[in-house]
Amino acid sequence: MTSIRTYTIIFVALMILSTTQAAIEEIGLFGDQVLLALVVILGLSVVKAVTVAGWYMHLREEPRAITYLALAGVIGVVALTAGAGYSIL
Amino acid sequence: MTDNAHNGGTESHETGDHDDGGHLPPKSSVKRWLVTTNHKDIGILYMITALFFLIFGGILAFMIRMQLWQSGPFILTDLGYNQIVTAHGLLMVFWFLSPFAFGLANYLVPLQIGADDLAFPRLNAMSYWLYLFSGVLLGISFFQGSSLPTGWTLYAPLNLPAFIPPVAELGSLSAIIALALFVASVTIGSVNFLTTMYRMRAEGLRMRDIPLFSISILLTVWMMLFAFAALLAALMLLSFDHVFAGEVGTGYFGSEEGGSLLWTHLFWFFGHPEVYIVFFPALGVMAEVVQTFSGRRLVGRKWFIIAMALVAIQSFIVWMHHMFLTSINLPIKTVMMVTTIGISLPFDLMVFALIYTMIKGRVRWKTPFLFVLGAILLFILGGITGVFLGAIVLDYSFRGTYWVVAHFHYVMASGAVALVGGIYYWYPKITGKMYNEFLGKVHFVAAFIGFNMLYFPMFIVWDTPRRWFHYSGTVAPKIPFTDITLFTTGFTIWHQVATVGAFLFGGSFLIMFYNLFVSLYSDRVVDESPWAYTGSAEWAVSSPPPEGNFPGTPSFATGKLSFLDGTELTDGGEAKTDGGVADAVAHEQHADHTSWWPLVLSLTALLTGLGISGLETAYFVWPFLFSIPLFVAAIGVVGARRDGFTPIHGAFMGASMPILGAFALVFHLHHGVPGGLAEANEYFWLTLAGVGTGMVTLVTMGYESFEVPTPRRSEQWPFEGVTNTKLGMWVFLGSDIILFGAFIGSYIFMRINAGWTNWHHIAETNGLVSHPILPGLINTYLLLASSFTVVLALAYAKRGSRRGTLGALAVTFAGATLFLLNKGIEWVDLYIHQGWQFDSGPAASTFYLTTGLHAAHVVVGMLIMLFLIARAYTGAYWSDGEQAHTIEYFGLYWHFVDIVWLFLFPLFYVLF
Repeated sequence: MTSIRTYTIIFVALMILSTTQAAIEEIGLFGDQVLLALVVILGLSVVKAVTVAGWYMHLREEPRAITYLALAGVIGVVALTAGAGYSIL
Repeated sequence: MTDNAHNGGTESHETGDHDDGGHLPPKSSVKRWLVTTNHKDIGILYMITALFFLIFGGILAFMIRMQLWQSGPFILTDLGYNQIVTAHGLLMVFWFLSPFAFGLANYLVPLQIGADDLAFPRLNAMSYWLYLFSGVLLGISFFQGSSLPTGWTLYAPLNLPAFIPPVAELGSLSAIIALALFVASVTIGSVNFLTTMYRMRAEGLRMRDIPLFSISILLTVWMMLFAFAALLAALMLLSFDHVFAGEVGTGYFGSEEGGSLLWTHLFWFFGHPEVYIVFFPALGVMAEVVQTFSGRRLVGRKWFIIAMALVAIQSFIVWMHHMFLTSINLPIKTVMMVTTIGISLPFDLMVFALIYTMIKGRVRWKTPFLFVLGAILLFILGGITGVFLGAIVLDYSFRGTYWVVAHFHYVMASGAVALVGGIYYWYPKITGKMYNEFLGKVHFVAAFIGFNMLYFPMFIVWDTPRRWFHYSGTVAPKIPFTDITLFTTGFTIWHQVATVGAFLFGGSFLIMFYNLFVSLYSDRVVDESPWAYTGSAEWAVSSPPPEGNFPGTPSFATGKLSFLDGTELTDGGEAKTDGGVADAVAHEQHADHTSWWPLVLSLTALLTGLGISGLETAYFVWPFLFSIPLFVAAIGVVGARRDGFTPIHGAFMGASMPILGAFALVFHLHHGVPGGLAEANEYFWLTLAGVGTGMVTLVTMGYESFEVPTPRRSEQWPFEGVTNTKLGMWVFLGSDIILFGAFIGSYIFMRINAGWTNWHHIAETNGLVSHPILPGLINTYLLLASSFTVVLALAYAKRGSRRGTLGALAVTFAGATLFLLNKGIEWVDLYIHQGWQFDSGPAASTFYLTTGLHAAHVVVGMLIMLFLIARAYTGAYWSDGEQAHTIEYFGLYWHFVDIVWLFLFPLFYVLF
C-alpha cells in the first residue's frame, strides 16, 4: 500500500503536468508544428494516465496479468482508431 | 453497486450470510424460475428462450422464402420485407445463436472447471433477464408502426431518421435500444465468465487443461468483451443521432465528415469478431463430440487451442474486408486481404485436427456425431466460399449478392447445426433421460438435406441482389466472371428449390422438439454418462447434476478428477470410483442467491428502453433527473431498514425533497408545471416509471450479497492475489476502455476526414464563438483532486478512521459536484448563449456526446458515492479493514473516469 505522502506527491505532479499541457498551447510553444504539439501534449496525458493507473489504481502491485488485460483494451482502441484513420488518408 | 452488506463486499472464504431472497423453490414452482440464480437453471432458461427466438427468427425466414417464391410482388409489402429481413438477421445472430451457446456454457462451464457456480450469480440472472427483455423490446418494435428496416448491418445513412419512413421511426429506435440492452447483458456475462474461469477452477486444473468446450467459451467471452463494447458505442452514437441529430449533415452518421464510413468501421470492428463469437462455441462442441465419438483425445489439442487463440486475436484486424467497396484506400484493403487470408490458416489446422481425430479413432455414428460431422462439412464449404470474398477483386463482384448470403449461412447455420449436435450430446446430462436415437438420426437426415436444398441454390443464383424484395426471375444463372450459362432456367426455379429446402430444414426441427419432449417422460434413465468415452468433469456427476454440482470438493491435484467421497475421471477415460481423497477439504455448501431483483431491474430496463424510443427531445433528461431524488430517498429508506435508522438515513430522506423541488423548479421554468407534465406523452411516463423503479431496485440490490465464496482450493493463475470482485471490475473497465476509445476514435476519424487543423474552423462556421481551455483545465484539477481524495478514503478506511473515510468520500463527492457545475456553466454558454448545439455539425456532436458520456460516468460515480457514504456512516468499510476493498473497487472506476478525462482535456480543449 502506497503511503499518503506518495499519493500527495503524485497529485501535485499531476496538477503540474496538466498546467503544463495548457501552458504549451496557450504560449504557442511549438508554433505551427501541429504534429509535434499533438505528440507532446498527448504524450503528457499518457504519462499522467500511466501514473494514475500505476499508483492510484495500484496496478504496480497487482498481478501483471491485470496490466495486460487493460493493455488489451488499449491496443484494441489503437487498432480501431489507427486503422480507421489510416483508411481515409 | 457492488457492496456486500453481509460479508463486507470482500473475498470471503466463508459461506456468508446469504439471507436475501429465501431458499430456492422446487423446479415445479414457477417462482423458482423467476428468482433462481443457479447456473444450471439459468442455462436452461437461456436455452429455452433461445429456442423460442429461433422459432421467431425461423418464421420470419419462412416469410422471406415465401416472398422469393416468385420474382415479383407476393405476400409482403416492400417495407414489410425490409423489416423481416432485418429482424430475421438480428434475431438469429444475436438472440438465438450466441444465447443458445451461452445456455450450454452456463450449464456446463462451472461443471467442467469444477466450480459451484459462476462468480456472480445474481449478475448471471440479470444477464439472462436483460437478454430476454431485450428480445421482447425487439418484438414490441413491430407494434410501434414498423420495426427497423435497414438490414442487420444497419448501414448508414439508411439507419437515420432522415432515411427511415416516418412510420418506422419509433420501432427503429426501439430495435436499436433493444440491441444496446442485449450488449449490456453480454458485457455482464463476459465479466462473469472471465472472472469465474480465471479464479474458480478446481485445484490442479491448469488453464490449458480446461475441456475444449470451456476453452472455446473463454476465447468467445474475451472477444465479446471487446467487440460488443464497440457495438455499444456505435449504438449510442446512433441513438444520439435519432434523438438529437437525425438530419443529413448533422450528428455522427449523417455527417459529411465520413459519417457513413464511420458506421461501417465501428460496426465491422464488432461484426467480424462476432462471426467467431457465434462460431467458437460450435467449434468447442465439435471438439468435445468428435473426441467422445471417436473414442480418443483430440489430435494436436495444444495446436488446436493455439489456433483458436490466434483467430480470436486476428479477428480484430480483418474488419475492413467487409468494406472493400467503400472509399477506404487500396493499401489498407491490401493489408486486410492479407490478414483475412491469414485467418483462414488456423481454421485449416482446426478442421484437420478434427478430421484426423476421427481417422485415428473409432467412430460411433450417434446423432450428436452426425450433426457435428455434417456441420464440419458445411463449414468447410462456407469457409472456402468466404475466402473468395476476402480477395479484393473477387469481392467487387460478389459483394451485395446471394453469394454472400449463401456463404455466411453456410458458416453461421453450420454453427447452429453443431450446436444442435451439442443439444443431443448433453441432453442426457441435463435431463437425466436419453433421447430417441432413431428420431435423432431422422432429424439429421432431414436437416442436412433441407440445409443444402436451402442454401446451395443461392450459390447457383449468386447474382441475385441481396436484400431485394423482387428479383429478375427470367435471367439464367451464370458461372461467376464468365458468360457461361449454368442452367437455361431462370432464377425463379432455384429460389423455389431454396424455399422448399427451407421448409424441410425448418420442419426437421419439429422432429427434434417432439423427440426431446417425449424423451423427457420416457424410462430411458441415464446415470453419470451414457457415452462410452468422456473426458470432462460433467460426466463424473449424476444426471442431472446435484444442486451444488459435486459430491465433494473437486480436485485435479493428482492429475485426475477426484472428490472427497466420490468418483474419479481419468483424462479422456471412463468415470470410475476412487474411494476418496484424504486431504480434500470439506465441500462448501452451495450458496443460495435467489433474488427477485435481477428480474425486476431488467424489467425496468425494458420500460426505460421502450420509453426512450418515443421520448420527446425536449423532455429527454427529465425522467433521469427526477429519478435522482428517488435514488437518494431509497438510500435513506432501504439503508434504515438494513442497517438501522441513523441520522444519515434521515438526512438522505430529507435531502431528497429539496433536490426534487429544485428539479421541479427548473422543469417549471422550461415547460411549466403542471402544464408541461400534462403535455408530456406516454413515453415520458414510461421512462420515468422505468428509471425510477430501476433506481430503487439498484439500491436494494446494493444491499444484497453479491458473489459466491471462492473455493478454498482453487486454481487462480494468472490472477492470484486479486479478489473476484476486483478482477470483475478490471474486466469491466477493459470493456469500458473500448467504449470510450470508440467514442474518441470516432472523433479522431471525423477530424482526420475534415483535415485536422480545419476542425476549429468548422466549429466556428457552425456557430461556435469561443471555446476556452480554462473550463477544461479547472475540471482537470477537480477530477485529479477527486482521484486523490478517493485514494485517501481507501487509505483512511484501511487505518480504521471513520472521520477520515467519511471526510475523504464527502470531499470526493463535492469535487464531482463542482465538476458537473463547471461543465453545466460551460454547456449553457456554448449551447444557449453561443447557439452551438448538439446538431451543429461534427465538432459540436463529438464534443457534446463524448464529454457527455464522460459526465454520465461521473453522475453514476456520484450516485455510488452517496451509497458508500451512507454505508460508511453506519460502520462499513473502515470498521473492518477487509471491507475497505469496496472503496478500492469504486476507486478503480473513479480513477478510470479520471484517466478518460486526461485524454478528453487535450483533445477537446487544448488541441481543439
